Amino acid sequence: MTYRVGLIGAGTMGSTHARHWNALPGAELVGVLDPRRDAAHAAGPVFSDWDTLLSQAKPDIIDVCTPTPFHREYVERAAAAGKAIFVEKPMARTLADCDAMIAATERAGVPVMSGHVLRYFAEYAAAKRLVDAGGVGTPVAIRTARMAGFPDLGGRPNWYADPEQSGGLVLDMILHDFDWLRWTFGPVSRVFARGLYGQKAHFGRLDYALVTLRFESGALAHVTGSWAHPGGFRTTLEIAGDGGMITHDSAASAPLAASLRSTGGGGGVAVPESPMAEGEDPYYLEIAAFVAALEKGEPPPVTLQDAREATRIALAALESIETGKAVTL
Amino acid sequence: MTLKIGILSFAHMHAQSYAQEIVAHPDAVLVGIADPDPARGAAMAAQLSTTYYPTEATLLSQGLDGVIVASENIHHRRLVELAASAGVRAILCEKPLATTTKDARAMIAACAAAGVKLATAFPCRYSPAFQRLKQQVSAGAVGEVLAIRGTNRGTMPGGWFVDKALSGGGAVIDHSVHVADLNRVLLGREATEVYAEIGSGFYHQDWEDTGFLTIGYEGGVFATLDTSWSRPKTFPTWGDVTLQVVGTNGVLDLDMFAQNLVHYDDRAGRIGWDNWGSGTDAGLVADFLRLIAGQEVPNLATGEDGLRALAVALAAYRSAASGESAAVENS
Repeated sequence: MTYRVGLIGAGTMGSTHARHWNALPGAELVGVLDPRRDAAHAAGPVFSDWDTLLSQAKPDIIDVCTPTPFHREYVERAAAAGKAIFVEKPMARTLADCDAMIAATERAGVPVMSGHVLRYFAEYAAAKRLVDAGGVGTPVAIRTARMAGFPDLGGRPNWYADPEQSGGLVLDMILHDFDWLRWTFGPVSRVFARGLYGQKAHFGRLDYALVTLRFESGALAHVTGSWAHPGGFRTTLEIAGDGGMITHDSAASAPLAASLRSTGGGGGVAVPESPMAEGEDPYYLEIAAFVAALEKGEPPPVTLQDAREATRIALAALESIETGKAVTL
Repeated sequence: MTLKIGILSFAHMHAQSYAQEIVAHPDAVLVGIADPDPARGAAMAAQLSTTYYPTEATLLSQGLDGVIVASENIHHRRLVELAASAGVRAILCEKPLATTTKDARAMIAACAAAGVKLATAFPCRYSPAFQRLKQQVSAGAVGEVLAIRGTNRGTMPGGWFVDKALSGGGAVIDHSVHVADLNRVLLGREATEVYAEIGSGFYHQDWEDTGFLTIGYEGGVFATLDTSWSRPKTFPTWGDVTLQVVGTNGVLDLDMFAQNLVHYDDRAGRIGWDNWGSGTDAGLVADFLRLIAGQEVPNLATGEDGLRALAVALAAYRSAASGESAAVENS
């Protein structure tokens, strides 16, 4: 069958999803909700409101790409309507919202996948495969970093700059690392963090956080998150174990570099891009994995429980930043 | 005038480099070395064309102007106090200054009482890349500094470094003092508290090989520091010193030992990084000689500077034991 997809939110991530839904065999983007009509038009057929989207476009899948605070509302609506759901990360701004979303989808018995796309980035997937194969022995000291400028919405109201909505980079960006780390190294037992979150003098223009995690296994991880790097997006990864070490640096592994005389305008949130063969783009792979799970009637590979656990680590880091104390999970 | 220098103990491998700098310096002469290991002492003396003295007292009775102490950490206090009482003009002590703040304070006091100048060996201060970083930070290149992410990772050194009775600890006491000192130089602020997670997962011994520190500074600046002996045996060099300095106006990234040739060595069956950057020990030793000569040496770390850096490492151990942040002991 062809799955009919209704997209909620046509911002940075929504428009990325729209492109991949349109490329994915077995899925069809049948409707878009976004108060910004131009953005919605660019992504797909536009509907004025939720009820019309449901009744006229008849979606099988609802893909929630709104700003974080609206995730719960649309997940609950989609669950009540019996739709399969894909919801962007972070799952929600609070654990109470996470729990309500899990309860609503379990009650409705609908399949849900969370957009922890880092698992589908080839370098992170390959690193996990190497670790699982014993490539570093027992992992001991892990470092990840995700560095970019402050998200720029091109003059639109910037909800990223409101910590109450976005949770800053700890919840919005290095949540990616938390999910990947938990997926690869298991449950986290303790979190300590320092960051600029809550510092009114700086927040909104820049954010920076340094987070230390202790895993139940005894391994330690250090996570750097930066919205203080004006020079573009960069990630690094290092996994040291008692039998070896893996390192990765996006700046050192980009196969193409352009040094052009005229530079184009910027804008938009930094979304990591790595030129991969068609069909291997991580944003394509994650929705393809979701649809494949739906076709087989299997649970989607990244669950809301996974998303809740990653959110819990991020919220613990924010709590640690605010209280100055370590948070035991 | 030629300054007469002696070296007490070659237990720390840095002694060799300091000795070579003294031998090469036009204003200094290496009068001799004392070492509790006669074979090592004699071999080093032969290599450096100087005299081996079987006891510290005989070397110290040669009318020395300055002494370098490069023993195991635990012996720093005894040797510094011995040298101070022998009437030298200045002493350069290997880092960490001591293994307890009590010992470090006693060393500072003994030198002060004897009118002897005490310096701590923090060679990273003399890295041209760090000097340039410091200059840019002071000129306001990144605006107000908000945070520093540091690493001083290495391969596991073995020997007495992993005998806690001689070293006072593992990777944390060995490596945190360098970056703790650099941060203090950059910020001009004192560390107030440390949170540390430590572990022994690389070598599974009773000393820590992993240390992830978070350091709070006066005024709310924060820093993290990875002190782990996490570089594998196949790593192309000994380790690193890196600082990511984040300010209101941008970021400065220092990778102190990045000036390498990559050497694919079929004969040795390994890939190595061959550093061609300026060494740091020549500047350190030259400043030590200036200190002896009574000149101003603002870049040379004092005993007090050594104590401040040590206090950060010791706070890390207290934090790791308690699971909470520990206050940095202030003098």
